[in-house]
Amino acid sequence: MSNDKPMNPLEMIAYVLSRQIEDNEVIYIGTGLPMVAAILAKKTHAPHITFVYESGGQDPEQLEMPWSVGGPMTWRKSPIIMEMSYSFGQAAAGMVDKGFLGFAQIDMYGNANTHMIGSEFTNPKVRLTGSGGNNDVSSLVDKLIYVGLQDQNKFAKKVDFITSPGWLEGGESRKNAGLLNNGPVAVITSAGVYDFEPETHRMRIKTLHPGVSPELAQLASGFELVRPAGAIPVTETPSKEILQILRNEVDPSGLFISLPS
Amino acid sequence: MNFDYNQEALKNLKIEDTSLLDRLVDYRSAREAHLKKDHSQRDKRMSLHEAVAEYVQDGDIWCDSSFSYVRSAIQGWWEIIRQGKKNLQAIGSPNTNQTYGVMYGTVSHTHASYTGAEMRGIDKMFSRNLKEGKVKIISDWSHGLMAQGFKAAQLGMPGCFSKQGLGSDIINHNPYLKVMQNPMSKDSDPCVFVPAIFPDVVIIHVNAADMYGNARFYGPAVNDIATAAASRKVIITCEEIVSNYDIRYHAKGAQIPFNNIDAVVELPFGAAPGYMPNEYYWMRYFWEKFFSWANESEERCKEFFDEFIMGTKNVNELIEKVGGLDWVTKSRRRAKAAEGNNETDGVSFVYKIWENGMDVKDID
Repeated sequence: MSNDKPMNPLEMIAYVLSRQIEDNEVIYIGTGLPMVAAILAKKTHAPHITFVYESGGQDPEQLEMPWSVGGPMTWRKSPIIMEMSYSFGQAAAGMVDKGFLGFAQIDMYGNANTHMIGSEFTNPKVRLTGSGGNNDVSSLVDKLIYVGLQDQNKFAKKVDFITSPGWLEGGESRKNAGLLNNGPVAVITSAGVYDFEPETHRMRIKTLHPGVSPELAQLASGFELVRPAGAIPVTETPSKEILQILRNEVDPSGLFISLPS
Repeated sequence: MNFDYNQEALKNLKIEDTSLLDRLVDYRSAREAHLKKDHSQRDKRMSLHEAVAEYVQDGDIWCDSSFSYVRSAIQGWWEIIRQGKKNLQAIGSPNTNQTYGVMYGTVSHTHASYTGAEMRGIDKMFSRNLKEGKVKIISDWSHGLMAQGFKAAQLGMPGCFSKQGLGSDIINHNPYLKVMQNPMSKDSDPCVFVPAIFPDVVIIHVNAADMYGNARFYGPAVNDIATAAASRKVIITCEEIVSNYDIRYHAKGAQIPFNNIDAVVELPFGAAPGYMPNEYYWMRYFWEKFFSWANESEERCKEFFDEFIMGTKNVNELIEKVGGLDWVTKSRRRAKAAEGNNETDGVSFVYKIWENGMDVKDID
């Protein structure tokens, strides 16, 4: 891959997501952009993080991007490989700091859907993958971060199915449902970075990527985004050096960070 | 036993006859089935054909094993399809491999958790078949909730309380799950009751087993240790049969004990076209072609699997189709390198999205 190409949106997302990770954290990840971001974080500002995968591998020696969550790159020379129930159990027990999930739809309270599109469960327009570990990660890890591309359908007024509970109906509803953990803290998209307003728990613009106005971000959303008071900061972009690491060392074959041609 | 299912879920799933749900949670009948087995340490070796003919019946709850494309007993599953077994309920976390069983009518009902193509996205073939009514979801799970159900079965408990699933729509699409107050807490503390779950039959592929069924494997166990204990009938397929001494004196011992096991089948490459830890790499372009053709149409899928499942008698014929001994040697080398047991120089892990004109032979 040529290294002089301008940064593409997937690279921006991977970088911004990597900045959500702090050093020494234990993080639950699946394949795709979360993994790219985690490896980038490990190679830059957070060298002491530990990766946990639902298939049971954790802290593998880095080699290539895993093709499957069960694949050898998720447990290459792992010091321990756990059974699935134990792997999630450590998140329930408070030993995992953060988790990262994608979404097909997400609503203003950070409830996410990877089950189905349509109004009838038994006859959906499209059946998606189902939960896999998504519900478990969103129910158990201390802090949850969503990542994905943003448009009016994906940022939905109402999700067709709640696979992963966010702040449910806002306010105290998540706590009242008995969920253990904090709930979603951030959503990283192709347009910007969002957090959740502390009282209502509605999604709020935190920063917007270069060239994205609040109006544009709103246009790419099916629900009303909360705007903070004052000027909205521009999301920090990766330096040339970090872009080089991303392209040459993290995902050299461009499996996840090159846009389909 | 008479069961009291989650009524809202029954309504949402349009299930009227609940009798098809019972066996999965009937722990007494699972215990009875285990008690009736011959518990002696005896020679259980047989052919795959015999094992599937004897231990898999139409209508059984069949459990997918390990993790999608990694150490899953795919050749055992293909034999079930080849023998024309019908109307199975599929379960497993993930239960990715059920999709082509649905196409052949082998699977008619599913306890859904995850069916997709990971980094290649959703499984459009499964979505189509679900819409057409070829398969009916009779319970919907997260991986973790299902894993807890299997683990509860292994631990001999009728069920367990979980903090997963709360607030989600999974709860109202799974007749087996119920939100309940934690009986130890005076404060409001909703939990999800997950019953122990008991498949009828699971086939588990391992690196080595003795003739009694003591089995050991490398890589993630996923849910296999739990499902071996839970299932009424268990078939082990293995890369090699070893002596009981080898199991006893190998540092790892056995992870699955012989008394769980009904049949032991020596079946080298039994996880192909998937990956086998310490043994061989998955057939990358086999899967790429499937994902691509699954997106295209049912006819394409049928053509593909008719060639590879129905058009082969056994795994040897599959291996011939992807390059024979050439595939074997490259695949072994690639797996060793992937796991850090050999150098990576000269070994490629690159993936290519399927394009017409490509070959399922593992080239590079």
